[in-house]
Amino acid sequence: MDMPAKPKKKLGLKERYAVMTRGLGWEPSYQDIDDIFSMDSFEGIKIHDWDAWEDPFRLTMDSYWKYQAEKERKLYAIIDAFAQSNGHLTVSDPRYINTVKMFVNGFAPLEYMSHRGFAHIGRQFRGVGPRVACMMQSLDEMRHAQTQVHAISNYNKYYSGMENFRHHHDYLPYLQVPKSFFEDAATGGPFEFITAIGFSFEYVLTNLVFVPFISGAAYNGDMGAMTFGFSAQSDEARHMTLGLEVIKFMLEQDPDNVPIVQKWLNKWTWRGVRVLTLVAMMQDYMLPKRVMSWAEAWEIYFEENCGALFRDLERYGIVMPPCVEQVRKERDHLSHMAWCQFYQARGTSNFHVWLPSEEDMDWLSQKYPDTFDQYYRPRFEEWRRMEEAGTPFETTGINMQCQVCQIPMFFTEPGDPTRLAQHHCHHEGEQYHFCSQWCQEIFEDEPEKYIQSAIAGHDVFKGKAIRPEADPTAEDFNPAAEALAFWKLENGRDNGLHYGSQDERNFSMWRGLASSNS
Amino acid sequence: MSYTLTIETTGDEIEVEEGQTMLDACLRAGVWLPHACCHGMCGTCKIDVVDGEIEHGEASGFALMDFERDEGKALACCATLESNVSIEAEIEEDPDAESIPVEDFNATVERIDDLTPTIKGLHLRLDRPIRFQPGQYINLTIAGKQGTSRAFSIASDMSDPTTLELNIRLVPGGEGTSWVHNELQVGDSVHLTGPYGRFFVRHSAQMPTLLLAGGSGLSSPRSMLLDLIARKEEQPITIVYGARNRSELYYHDELAALAEEHDNVIYVPALSDEPADSEWDGFRGFVHEAAETHFDKDFRGHKAYICGPPVMIEACITSLMRGRLFERDIYTEKFLSAADVQQTRSPLFKRI
Repeated sequence: MDMPAKPKKKLGLKERYAVMTRGLGWEPSYQDIDDIFSMDSFEGIKIHDWDAWEDPFRLTMDSYWKYQAEKERKLYAIIDAFAQSNGHLTVSDPRYINTVKMFVNGFAPLEYMSHRGFAHIGRQFRGVGPRVACMMQSLDEMRHAQTQVHAISNYNKYYSGMENFRHHHDYLPYLQVPKSFFEDAATGGPFEFITAIGFSFEYVLTNLVFVPFISGAAYNGDMGAMTFGFSAQSDEARHMTLGLEVIKFMLEQDPDNVPIVQKWLNKWTWRGVRVLTLVAMMQDYMLPKRVMSWAEAWEIYFEENCGALFRDLERYGIVMPPCVEQVRKERDHLSHMAWCQFYQARGTSNFHVWLPSEEDMDWLSQKYPDTFDQYYRPRFEEWRRMEEAGTPFETTGINMQCQVCQIPMFFTEPGDPTRLAQHHCHHEGEQYHFCSQWCQEIFEDEPEKYIQSAIAGHDVFKGKAIRPEADPTAEDFNPAAEALAFWKLENGRDNGLHYGSQDERNFSMWRGLASSNS
Repeated sequence: MSYTLTIETTGDEIEVEEGQTMLDACLRAGVWLPHACCHGMCGTCKIDVVDGEIEHGEASGFALMDFERDEGKALACCATLESNVSIEAEIEEDPDAESIPVEDFNATVERIDDLTPTIKGLHLRLDRPIRFQPGQYINLTIAGKQGTSRAFSIASDMSDPTTLELNIRLVPGGEGTSWVHNELQVGDSVHLTGPYGRFFVRHSAQMPTLLLAGGSGLSSPRSMLLDLIARKEEQPITIVYGARNRSELYYHDELAALAEEHDNVIYVPALSDEPADSEWDGFRGFVHEAAETHFDKDFRGHKAYICGPPVMIEACITSLMRGRLFERDIYTEKFLSAADVQQTRSPLFKRI
């Protein structure tokens, strides 16, 4: 009689994952391991036992493709439906399209930078576990960049300000804020990069980015953007757990790592919040149908969620970054200062701006009872009078930008909203300017790095914003017009005021055609 | 209408109310499942439904794919029960867990000791032997209150499997502890269920043991200590035990005698509020401070077990972590009150 063969026990999830990931590593025999992984020690982070790394998730390549393929099918079905039904005309109001412009110019390229960064450190860590996790995240980030560009390309067929998003991301002054953030991270070592992006950005600040944009898309009838948000968010959980595991791993491996990690948390919390200035402004001023105010989002997503995180991190001896005190003081000023800046300097942006309506201003004073009516409403009312008189106010000069965060120097001193913040220091005979004590501290910690910052506004004065074919010695050479040409900004179409713009007129005309027979 | 949820990975069985999510029920019952966003977006809490009917609720189509739904996956943070359900979850198997089934027992009160002015020692004679892992707890039904029970750690070891000792502090205004202190008499019949909990010694680690106990939280560590000695454990065992003052420090003499008798047992008592002029010559301060002093702030190479009030547990965890002992080597028994569940915690730590 044949005995039935005992069924072979299936490997458990953990064992299977180990075989499919760590099992792929090997001990080098003819090369020194320090030569192979030459970058994971110079930052001073001490790792004694890479095997102590706990895999934050267990996803292998074979199932990764399966998941992402189904996500893509769903997402592209919706993007196609959105395109075919002229979804761009169903959004709440044409002003919303400026949020989309800011997203594709400011944030989609960051996903691509993130892809590159994780691919890089996925090569540089000597532990197999973190290498595999970083590779997965690298692939996610490329998918995010691609789906965002695809989703937004629907708008690009009809509206201005998006067709040069890569060039603008590199050269337009306001876009150098997010750009320099990521380049700063990517030019750090692998541990700093993953602390900056994997932890500070993906974990600490991620909800402050995601919720405003994705809920904003949902509230304003943008199905395409909303769907890529949900599609990406299902990957974010892996990114967040990777960020947490990295922090724990560093803090537990050696007590000498604690002050280094604290320094990075201080730096990247501040750098991140500075980038979020754009998001704060979008939330309070740019969404026709609003989700919540920046102040409310800060309370929920930073004070509550991150408060809990830093309370837990205290067990390792990590404290809340000191810059948070200033962020709290700026909470009720940030979005107003930023929108004032964008309104005044509207010639150098690739989206349109407008003055808040009476109704908008009533909402703002309700959300910001201690600041809006006192400091910002009078300014908007004065600009309204000037617009109505046919003499709208606009700055004609080029702004000085902070050497670190690259935001124009429009911030006021925390707690003193009528005094402009002007910080500076000297390094090898040159004077450098900063928006705050915190950016200055970041500079002073690594001056050799930040003196190399490419700063768009300053480059105009250095004669760097000139196309190769232009002749700056010509008699009729106009440096301001040349800067716009160099930036590939079509004056009067890509920039300026929303009302009366080509985009606004087209939207109204197309929507009229879509909703009536005449 | 409630249903029973069986987590096959751990053997836990918990009740889930109508409309309550699996994750909520598990976390409230002290069963930790991986989770992050808590609203069906991220997929961290994905589990396998082995048996029974569930409703997926608000689970996102991106976080829980169609092919996964067909395979019986669900997101615990959104899924509700439509019948009794069994699931498998990605919880690490613990080689030291004996997975003893929970049973009902009837018992008689054999003795009540006044251990301190606020703590009574309740000795119960069971109707049949109980098997448990030292460190685990039982639920004692409050007489006359059908369905109302309170959790108490077992303070005895298994030398006599038909007796259980519980050390119960009088909580002012507490229904359960008032009943024990004021109404329960020798000879009364009581009902209990157990054993419960994942708080037990990890023998397989073969590492020195550190027991940290505060107040009536001595129960579990004492049970663990007696059991370790009975097993002739040779690794060092240190018990740091604290109370407010000398009159609250019960079993002090017993613990001192055990330390005297066994070379590998070290006993560090600590009093936080003992009158300055008393005869006490031991440590003055909190348990975590006594431990820091004794170990010179270096706890590496131990398995630590903490039992006591929440503030004491929190202080001890911080001391241990600053002394380079981390989550994988720290175990606590937390009796969550409703207020504790409300407190926002980050997902940085899973168990502690």
